[in-house]
Amino acid sequence: MSIEIRNIRKQFGDFAALKDVSFKVETGELVALLGPSGSGKTTLLRIIAGIEAPDGDDGAILIHSEDATAINFRDRRVGFVFQHYALFRHMTIFENVAFGLRVRPRRLRPSETTIRAKVKELLKLVQLDWLGDHYPSQLSGGQRQRIALARALAVEPSVLLLDEPFGSLDAKVRKELRRWLRRFHDELKITSVFVTHDQEEALEVADRVVLMNEGRVEQMGTPDEVYHHPANAFVYNFLGNVNLFHSRVEEGKVYLGDMPFDLPSEAADDAKTALVFVRPHLLEIELQPNGSDHFRAKVEHINAAGPVVKVDLITDWGDPVHVELPHERYRALGLKRDDGVFVIPKERKVFTDHSKPIQN
Amino acid sequence: MGFTLLYLSLIVLIPLGAAFLKTFTMTWSQFWGTVTGPRALASYRLSLGASLIGAAINTVMGLMVAWVLVRYTFPGKRILDALVDLPFALPTAVAGITLTAMFAPNGWVGRSLEPLGIKVAFTELGVVVALTFIGLPFVVRTVEPILQDLDPEIEEAAATLGATRWQSWRRVIFPELMPGLLTGFALAFARAVGEYGSVVFISGNMPMRTEITPFLIVTKLAQFDYAGATALAVAMLVMSFVLLLFINLLQWWSQSRYA
Amino acid sequence: MEAIGIRIGETRIAANSALTEVRPVRFVLIAGTVLSLGLFLVLPLVVVFVEAFKKGVEFYFAAISEPDAAAAIRLTLLAAGIAVPLNLIFGVAAAWAISKFRFSGKNLLVTLIDLPFSISPVISGLIYVLLFGLQGWLGPWLAAHDIKIIFAVPGIVLATIFVTFPFVARELIPIMQSQGSEEEEAARVLGASGWQTFRRVTLPNIKWGLLYGVILCNARAMGEFGAVSVVSGHIRGMTNTIPLHAEILYNEYNSAGAFAMASILTVLTVITLVVKTLIERKSEIRGGRGADAVSATE
Repeated sequence: MSIEIRNIRKQFGDFAALKDVSFKVETGELVALLGPSGSGKTTLLRIIAGIEAPDGDDGAILIHSEDATAINFRDRRVGFVFQHYALFRHMTIFENVAFGLRVRPRRLRPSETTIRAKVKELLKLVQLDWLGDHYPSQLSGGQRQRIALARALAVEPSVLLLDEPFGSLDAKVRKELRRWLRRFHDELKITSVFVTHDQEEALEVADRVVLMNEGRVEQMGTPDEVYHHPANAFVYNFLGNVNLFHSRVEEGKVYLGDMPFDLPSEAADDAKTALVFVRPHLLEIELQPNGSDHFRAKVEHINAAGPVVKVDLITDWGDPVHVELPHERYRALGLKRDDGVFVIPKERKVFTDHSKPIQN
Repeated sequence: MGFTLLYLSLIVLIPLGAAFLKTFTMTWSQFWGTVTGPRALASYRLSLGASLIGAAINTVMGLMVAWVLVRYTFPGKRILDALVDLPFALPTAVAGITLTAMFAPNGWVGRSLEPLGIKVAFTELGVVVALTFIGLPFVVRTVEPILQDLDPEIEEAAATLGATRWQSWRRVIFPELMPGLLTGFALAFARAVGEYGSVVFISGNMPMRTEITPFLIVTKLAQFDYAGATALAVAMLVMSFVLLLFINLLQWWSQSRYA
Repeated sequence: MEAIGIRIGETRIAANSALTEVRPVRFVLIAGTVLSLGLFLVLPLVVVFVEAFKKGVEFYFAAISEPDAAAAIRLTLLAAGIAVPLNLIFGVAAAWAISKFRFSGKNLLVTLIDLPFSISPVISGLIYVLLFGLQGWLGPWLAAHDIKIIFAVPGIVLATIFVTFPFVARELIPIMQSQGSEEEEAARVLGASGWQTFRRVTLPNIKWGLLYGVILCNARAMGEFGAVSVVSGHIRGMTNTIPLHAEILYNEYNSAGAFAMASILTVLTVITLVVKTLIERKSEIRGGRGADAVSATE
């Protein structure tokens, strides 16, 4: 069941939550809507579900090529998992999961035995089959989330939507559930869209990522594509750690401090300033300049507790720089606080297009 | 308040009443005779019965009013919302004469009901109307905050799972409101049982028919029958205690089931 | 399923959206609410004033200024004038003790405070008669010293104090409990005395709740009927408050006169409601209740 989002706009009073969004989710895909708060991703998800309606007449949501915007919930067959689970607290877990089946119109309603079997099967699927008689208040956050998922799946939706599914959970539980969701999706293959503000989550779990900012789609692609080939400054800054330098442009060169660097060919001719992005692991530290383009910096803080060594430095023009080094390199350099070193950017991305403000 | 009355009756009032009775050296049989006399029995039936009916009406009406005030907008809503506290703030005697003026046979509302054969003032129906009036704020003000705090997501969840609005309401929303409704009912009932000023004008106070127990107590006092008045007061407290105990049990049951 | 769009503002919602009641149901509920509230709340207010002025404006003013009426007004003001300040002090003290300190019997105290509020006003009055009446516990002693309480002004004042003493406390206790005692503790640590702490830290925090409690207390004090009726002797010009005087006039079929007296109390009630609304607005602005969620379903 593919989902096609066409020209969706949504305004709340003065605030434009969505400004003409269009893209397509292929059948069986797991897509992440990724972006900062206020980017419109949850609003878009709710419009796909039918909880909100888009503005105007030209916007449409097509599920399996049929216009879903004018179809009611029962016939739309979309499963929705809420950020805070929205489990019915006065019902047992069993009753929660059975809910969608029990409210079906009489002629479509399965028998009680069928319902019981189906619920058991679903609880087994989410690996919580012993919790049937418990109440939501007795479950942990992670368990509640899985029950919310089971409940949504009970009505056999053609599309599954998840709103920040792991937002309210501890870091460790989140990581476990992420992997679980990926395996789960691989098994069931239901077209799914989930909303998150956690870029690590999106890149790890999704087949494709849709990056949203201020109501617009900035880029859509596989995690690999968006990370290594970001379309613009926003995407680059949002995904992964990055150092950002506001630099000036003079005579075809961009200056980091006093050091000139080459401008990429796509740079605008009349640009006076540029944004330079460098990933922390693509910066090298040397004790002596070795001929490559470099700038000077002083070591402020070293954190060696982790898989890489994280070094915070201050450049000689006052900007902070964050560098990640392998442990062997760090030991070879023998770095200490207040050391003066030379930093070499191995790879950098320069953007002269400032039309989109950067959110740090 | 219902629970309070329960607790107080047990700890303070009933022993107090017993102490007073001892002062007047009323024997058990005298006590029993006063408390179960035909006039007294008729007054209990009216006081308790009309209070229960009034509280029940308020539970339904109050739910509707609370729902409309919280969920919808319409011109004049703010004023009506502020006015809900009127029966609570208005002096009981003022309520009493006003309700009578409204529902007497030639009254503002009564004159339209007369030709239909419906008599309100000076009948049991009038007592119910008065007790409904004074109980109005209790259910509304108890349910309103619950409705305001209701998580919209559970309604959305029910809808996405395919429930019709009625199904959502019955299976998801109403159970959340149930404990609040019971509490409101208990409060309205407790207030109604002891009510005096709002009722004695519209009831007509006819013995055996439209005489409420508090009025009977006042009558006995006017006759300087202190013992009789005290006996009736004790009986009234015991009955309220039993009924409120029952309501509290219902509340406890609904809390465990629905919360 | 045929979709019939309902336009609400600029958005489009499919029929059977299942997120809100359908139009006819909403209409019926709103109509039902407006009718019942109109009947039970708006109409009585209208009736009071129309009936009060039925015989004309001159009659109205004559009715509220004739000697027995004036005496009733004076007695009402006296009773309220004593009861309200006393209960204000008691209420603040009790709320202070209950919310800032731990002590055994706290629950009992809270429940006792609610006592006059929970029992029938008639029984409240009865308790006083049984204590101070001629046949009561203290009756013989009072008679011997020629002190009249029941069927005299002191009894009325006492009964008024009794039935209104919960109001200020009940308003303040939840407010003070939710505020906790951290601010007061901070003040004490900084060297403020008990009284200074109260005046500069506690009082400003509770001022709106206090105001509302006082207004409610006053409204009840001036409007109390049942309890006062029992202890009063219904002696015209001497032991009648405004409500009692209204009752007498009503029983004499002087309806306009009775409503004239009632209208005085009704104005007080309206003021009470206005103050309550204003106070609620203020606490809403300070971030009490959140703004309504933006929703396309209303």
